[in-house]
Amino acid sequence: MTKPAARRSLFEPPDIGQMATATKIVLYTVLLAWSAFVLFPIYWLIITSFKTIAAVNQGPYFLPWIDFEPSLHAWKELFVNDYRDTFRAYFNSIVISLSATALAILVGSMAAYALSRVKFAPNLITILYFVGLLALTGVAVGIYDVDWRVAAATAIALFFFLARAIGRLYQLRLQNGDILFWIISQRILAPIVVVVPIYMMFQSVRLLDTHLAIILTYTVINLPVVVWLMYDFFNSIPRDLEESAQLDGATMIGIFREIILPLSRAGLAATTLLVVILCWNEYLLALFLSTNKAQTMPILVAAMNAGERGILWWTMSAVIMIMIIPVVIMAILLQKYIAKGILVGAVKG
Amino acid sequence: MKNKDKGTAKSISIRSMNKFFQAVHVLKDLSLEVQAGEFLVLLGPSGCGKSTALRLIAGLESISSGELFIGETNVTNVLPKYRDIAMVFQSYALYPHKTVAENIGFPLKMAKTPKADIDTAVLAAAQQVELGDYLERFPGQLSGGQRQRVALARAIIRRPSVFLMDEPLSNLDAKLRGNMRAELKYMQSKLGVTMIYVTHDQIEAMTLAHRVAVLKDGTLQQLGTPKEVYSNPANLFVAGFMGSPPMNFISGAIDNESFTTKGVKLPLPGAPKSNQVTLGFRPEDCRIVKAGSGAMDAEVYTAELTGDQVLVTLQLHGSQIVSRMPKEFEIGDTQIAGIEVDTRHLYLFDSESGLRITADSTR
Repeated sequence: MTKPAARRSLFEPPDIGQMATATKIVLYTVLLAWSAFVLFPIYWLIITSFKTIAAVNQGPYFLPWIDFEPSLHAWKELFVNDYRDTFRAYFNSIVISLSATALAILVGSMAAYALSRVKFAPNLITILYFVGLLALTGVAVGIYDVDWRVAAATAIALFFFLARAIGRLYQLRLQNGDILFWIISQRILAPIVVVVPIYMMFQSVRLLDTHLAIILTYTVINLPVVVWLMYDFFNSIPRDLEESAQLDGATMIGIFREIILPLSRAGLAATTLLVVILCWNEYLLALFLSTNKAQTMPILVAAMNAGERGILWWTMSAVIMIMIIPVVIMAILLQKYIAKGILVGAVKG
Repeated sequence: MKNKDKGTAKSISIRSMNKFFQAVHVLKDLSLEVQAGEFLVLLGPSGCGKSTALRLIAGLESISSGELFIGETNVTNVLPKYRDIAMVFQSYALYPHKTVAENIGFPLKMAKTPKADIDTAVLAAAQQVELGDYLERFPGQLSGGQRQRVALARAIIRRPSVFLMDEPLSNLDAKLRGNMRAELKYMQSKLGVTMIYVTHDQIEAMTLAHRVAVLKDGTLQQLGTPKEVYSNPANLFVAGFMGSPPMNFISGAIDNESFTTKGVKLPLPGAPKSNQVTLGFRPEDCRIVKAGSGAMDAEVYTAELTGDQVLVTLQLHGSQIVSRMPKEFEIGDTQIAGIEVDTRHLYLFDSESGLRITADSTR
């Protein structure tokens, strides 16, 4: 049977499962507008990095070779005159971001796996007792000048002797949900609150302006993100799979390598990408913890703002350009895994 | 128990096994002897502890108290992978990122079998369950029945001495379930393995089992062949659980060696006097007759033609009574009908304890 020669209006879909012409027009208009909104700043960045000082100051100019004559002076300044600063910051950013991400993923995913598979029931009183002893040790060492070895030994001894007895007094137990909330609460906390204590801590152990200090700090502040994301991914892997593998003779390591790791690859890829970006862009803590040697890219960008010559828009644009590129490349590479992972995960009985 | 006795069926001995989840007593003092090569079905409603019992045998949960022997070995505290057990899960637990061949070969891979041996074994196992053409597919690309077969092949490839199955057919549609049931039974007898099979479906239990263990609230109610459990139930629960449609129950009293309730008086010679009893009879042991000419009269509720028979439901004092009639039977517009009961197939239970009361005139 042939279709009736229907004259469908602009607002009706031509066939089932298709979009009406009007819907299409609206949809693509919105998408185009949004793309322009998102991409224009990047375009602006690219052309600004090739503008002369005059072209920037007299602007706005939008079209190279028509509005203004492109120049490489900003790039030359970055890669020829100031190449040491540029490459050091670039190198620092890469080392710090990758190391901190690797550490955070390693520790965080193990914590998340444990939280998703093991029921913990720590006694609240025991925890409070532990924290109390820790605080007392700090006070004893810091204010009363007790030798730290003596204080630590006393605290550890007190803990092991009395923890069980004190724990028995009050049977309020925490659960996995409480632990998860405690972990995320550290991310809810605004970093500015803890920036000074962290600074003083690294000052006292003489680690300021080192990679190690920034790597450790970034690992810690990103752990909650890793734990929360990976917790969800691990939870979505049915326990049956692990139990079945167990009966099939797989060891713990075998189960992790053969079942858990491949099935959570999508989650790991997404989490890695997110954490790398968070580390890559972090400014506040890097500002406090680095002065010169350990400076990262965001600090370098901000420094363009603070010179005696005013804001160096052209070099700043060039620096931002080289800062964006590796993240974009990583996103493109990992996107494949993220998309594949979503498909593979979809098996139900 | 290394490789030397691989593939030979082993007996299982469960001795006073208990399981607690915190304060909840899930499995109460379960004792069972399963012979080598036997097909035992654990049957019960959901939450009766049957799956827990299976998981204890597999070693996925720890046994709170009691002992478990597989063959001559005490495996109470042995890790699952050393128990020489294969298990098929309700969800099949196929590894979604592995192909069918990799799924089936996984136990051998974990046992560090050479690659070539794995390949031949996988092919043999796959052919046994008729999956030879699907080896390169992923589980997500298979139908429910095919996934079930992959799970089976993965279980048989190791030639274990004991097979455990946790409601393996419950995710299949009715027709496929019937086919798979027959195949499972055939495969079990061909491989000669010991099988413990958990289900809530009494038809599966009746058709598959050598012996059925009926569980309720973590307690073993009755253990016996399907025939015994069906025709000689130990208590009210077993009587009501076995059979589809289930046994009819009428509550009343025994007075003067006859069962009495409102409007019903049924002589039961030899029955002891009691105030609260439940009379039971199966749908196939009663017939619909003209009102007034049977043992009791009841109000007609519905009549369902299932193809080979007509199930007539009647209401008597608020409880429903089903009678299985031949397919030619027509109820018409009868309002009140009589029920004639085959007095050779009556069951009597104590209403309070649920236990069977035997009398000369009852089974």
